[in-house]
Amino acid sequence: MLLLQIATAGIATGSVYALIAIGIVLIYKCSGVVNFGQGGYAMLGAYAAYALARAGLSPPLAAAGAVLVLGVVGALTELLVLRRMLRAPVVAVMMVTLGLLILFRAVCLAVWGPDQIAFPQIFPQGAVQIAGIFITYNYVAAALLSLVLSLAFLAFYRFTPMGLMQRAAADNSRAALAVGIHVSNQVSVAWAVSSALAGLGGVLLATLNGLSLTLSNIGLVAFPVIVLGGLTSLMGSLVAGLLLGMLEAFTDGLLTPALESFLRAHTSIYSVGALQQVVPYMLVGGMLLVRPQGIFGQRGTERV
Amino acid sequence: MLAAHGVSLRYDGVIQAVDRIDFQVEKGGLVALLGPNGAGKSTLLKAIAGLLPFEQGELVEGQLTFEGRSLAGVHPAAIARRGIALVQEGRQCFRSLSIEENLRAASLVARKGAGARLAMVFEYFPVLKEMRHRAAGHLSGGQLQMLVIGMALMSAPRLLLLDEPSLGLSPAMVQTVFDVVERMHRELGVTLVVAEQTVPRLLKLATDVYVLARGHIVMHTPPARADQETLQRVYLS
Repeated sequence: MLLLQIATAGIATGSVYALIAIGIVLIYKCSGVVNFGQGGYAMLGAYAAYALARAGLSPPLAAAGAVLVLGVVGALTELLVLRRMLRAPVVAVMMVTLGLLILFRAVCLAVWGPDQIAFPQIFPQGAVQIAGIFITYNYVAAALLSLVLSLAFLAFYRFTPMGLMQRAAADNSRAALAVGIHVSNQVSVAWAVSSALAGLGGVLLATLNGLSLTLSNIGLVAFPVIVLGGLTSLMGSLVAGLLLGMLEAFTDGLLTPALESFLRAHTSIYSVGALQQVVPYMLVGGMLLVRPQGIFGQRGTERV
Repeated sequence: MLAAHGVSLRYDGVIQAVDRIDFQVEKGGLVALLGPNGAGKSTLLKAIAGLLPFEQGELVEGQLTFEGRSLAGVHPAAIARRGIALVQEGRQCFRSLSIEENLRAASLVARKGAGARLAMVFEYFPVLKEMRHRAAGHLSGGQLQMLVIGMALMSAPRLLLLDEPSLGLSPAMVQTVFDVVERMHRELGVTLVVAEQTVPRLLKLATDVYVLARGHIVMHTPPARADQETLQRVYLS
């Protein structure tokens, strides 16, 4: 029973990680830029949903509105900031995304203050009973929504003309321009979609953990996910997100208690701390040693 | 159809690649654009397709028009929509995508009739049909050349620019490529500009010949007068 409970929590947080990571991979694929500010967009999404609910929208509508707002914020980021840096080195652009993260945190701090805020109830209260355990609707909704949307996005990317344009622009921008694909606009689309996904991830995370500035730390967890999945694989992000979510949940729910009870019995050590925050990075370290291209990534080859 | 008057093209603001040239393409024509390496052929074709600004190049003077409308400062996507397709040097395609996806991606500017054009491209190049689900990265040089020409056809061009299509191909493959050039010209009524260093076959097909050297048009002649001897003299001067 305990295992099932832990697994559910793992799937819920893991699929939110996947949402955030897919957005980062999407932008990386078509512009070569790693968006270090992705956690900031997630946080902004949650605060936007809160603000819209405060303004009188019903909570589910506020959540949907926040996702739209974030899509616009993402597109504007590309149009107003990144498009001006087309000739700048990619590293400079990445530093700008880090700057945006700091800016977003400062804005949220100034407007909403540093304290944890009770997040509006988006999903009905209560729980479903599955195989003798209770799972709150919040967890069920977070897992279902992010899984369904991740898969829907992957299908969109794979099977629609718009997705084909995205993939073509990501594969070879020179060739894409020559066949009439407006590459810069495709990068805008990628930013809009990526930010909207991050915004949704932020909203879902806030329903699980409450709303505060620390929400932007999700951006840091997304990086082990991406490295694990392979920097260029959207499917890899989904699988690795779920994997890391589960790993964290099991570390927190099984490994840490077991380790602590063992240590308390035999040594004077009382606590091992937040082990679940360390495990992803340990896994990534090991992964980089064994299979640097990630689970689904392709080893970089160059024709000589 | 296409007209360049006193066109100068520059890279990085200082490197003069093409210097005040006049260049005309009549509707239905097949223009051979000949010249040695570094003559400015690719630069001229890229300028027509609008790609020059993406390589730090620019049109510094003169008029470049297609069907009476200027091409200066127009985005390549808009130029493709007006009916100009460029097959670039280096066989630019989407290597991680399948052959069919490559062809479909190239038809997104002109979605009407894309299905019929796909069938036509497969009829022109049966080998592409056989391999339609394989990634383009696995193709040989000759197959890649067929793919990029097929991609250009997918955008339903009225003016097709080919940049050294025979470069690095076996003699048999060069024959195949020019068979297709001839068919496109005759059957589809596409107007073509083919840049090459020297291909005797091209001179037989061409309706007009321009020779470019060091950024200048050094010769403009009907193909009958462009015999090997004259060309060699021009190349070496």
